[in-house]
Amino acid sequence: MTTTLAARFTEMGQMLAAKPHLLRLGALFSETVLIEVDGNEYYLTFHRGQLERVTEGPSRQTPWRFALRVDGEALAKFWEPVPEPCFHDIFGFVKTGRGRIDGDILALVKNLRFFKEFMALGRSQEVSA
Amino acid sequence: MSVAYEPITGRYLTIEVAGRPVRIYIEEAGQGQPVICFHTAGADNRQWRHIMNDAELTANHRFIAPDLPWHGKSLPPEGFQEEEYLLTTEVYVETVLKLVEALELENPIYAGCSMGGRIALQLALHTPEPFKGFIAIEASDFQPAWYDIDWFHRPDAHGGEMGAALVSANIAPQGPAADRWATQWMFMQSGPGVFRGDLNFYTRDDSLVGKLGGIDTAKTPVHIMVGTYDMTCTPEDARRTAEQIPGATLAVMEEIGHFPMSENPATFRPHFVEALAKMG
Repeated sequence: MTTTLAARFTEMGQMLAAKPHLLRLGALFSETVLIEVDGNEYYLTFHRGQLERVTEGPSRQTPWRFALRVDGEALAKFWEPVPEPCFHDIFGFVKTGRGRIDGDILALVKNLRFFKEFMALGRSQEVSA
Repeated sequence: MSVAYEPITGRYLTIEVAGRPVRIYIEEAGQGQPVICFHTAGADNRQWRHIMNDAELTANHRFIAPDLPWHGKSLPPEGFQEEEYLLTTEVYVETVLKLVEALELENPIYAGCSMGGRIALQLALHTPEPFKGFIAIEASDFQPAWYDIDWFHRPDAHGGEMGAALVSANIAPQGPAADRWATQWMFMQSGPGVFRGDLNFYTRDDSLVGKLGGIDTAKTPVHIMVGTYDMTCTPEDARRTAEQIPGATLAVMEEIGHFPMSENPATFRPHFVEALAKMG
């Protein structure tokens, strides 16, 4: 499961590299984001909008700017081609109590469209965004 | 060769609100029963353009959609450059009533979305007299913020782009991409601090809580509409609100979020036709 998710994030990074509009939106985004799924940690390091590397945890030494923590079932629902209500957006995880966003929230909000569209790249059949 | 103009026309008028003149832009289409239509926070009257371009609806309804002051093509009042824009319930209500008076609207239906829906309930409770009925879209008695409203007015970031990215959480994925993005564009274009200033009253004024039982729907019907993808005013919020108003009706709209008129016009249309019919 953990290897599968790490591979999926890496694949999303490859999809990101092929999206000029996202690279433009993320041009000032050079941060590490922690995505925690069912307690498993994935550190996604972005540099100027490109996903440079995905590092699996656990780690207490990897600094991150903000974190999205969610259960695997909720993330799978988020990645459905047409997600059901409250699973269609990362803030839905918070609204339903299925996830948590913490750390430097303002850094997330300043790059919100970029990060949301990156996360949506995991949809098995990407909704035209 | 004739020009394929849309039937919507735009005019300006000046009214006095809170003791100051404000120049208001209104769009209008159709003839018959007046329906005055109000936009959400952080947006403008373009949210109503699909309804106003609907030949069947405009055959017997006169739709009037203002841009509130500070929004769209309505300028802020003179001296705005040194003010902090913070909308209040009182100023919004006064703006609506002054517009109805200035436009000499007889027995108009009021339709408003989100903060416009909240004001529908305020009007229905406190000053229902000029109106035939109220269509309260994505409306509830109170919604505390699940975000920090100060995010949307900062010198180091674009509040409009952040606002659009946030409200996209309230847009259903089933709508046509062009309409979903046109909906977000209005937020991106919103003036600095305007979305934040709108949210000021929307997220803080809880004066309707416990009072909605005072609305007399026998005189002025109240129809509440809510989209299943709305995470700000959820179907549960709308249902809780409707249940407090004796005689109020509720429509839950599938595959729609917080911006029904603009994010998915075709799906919204039959619900709005039903709402108009409920106004008597």
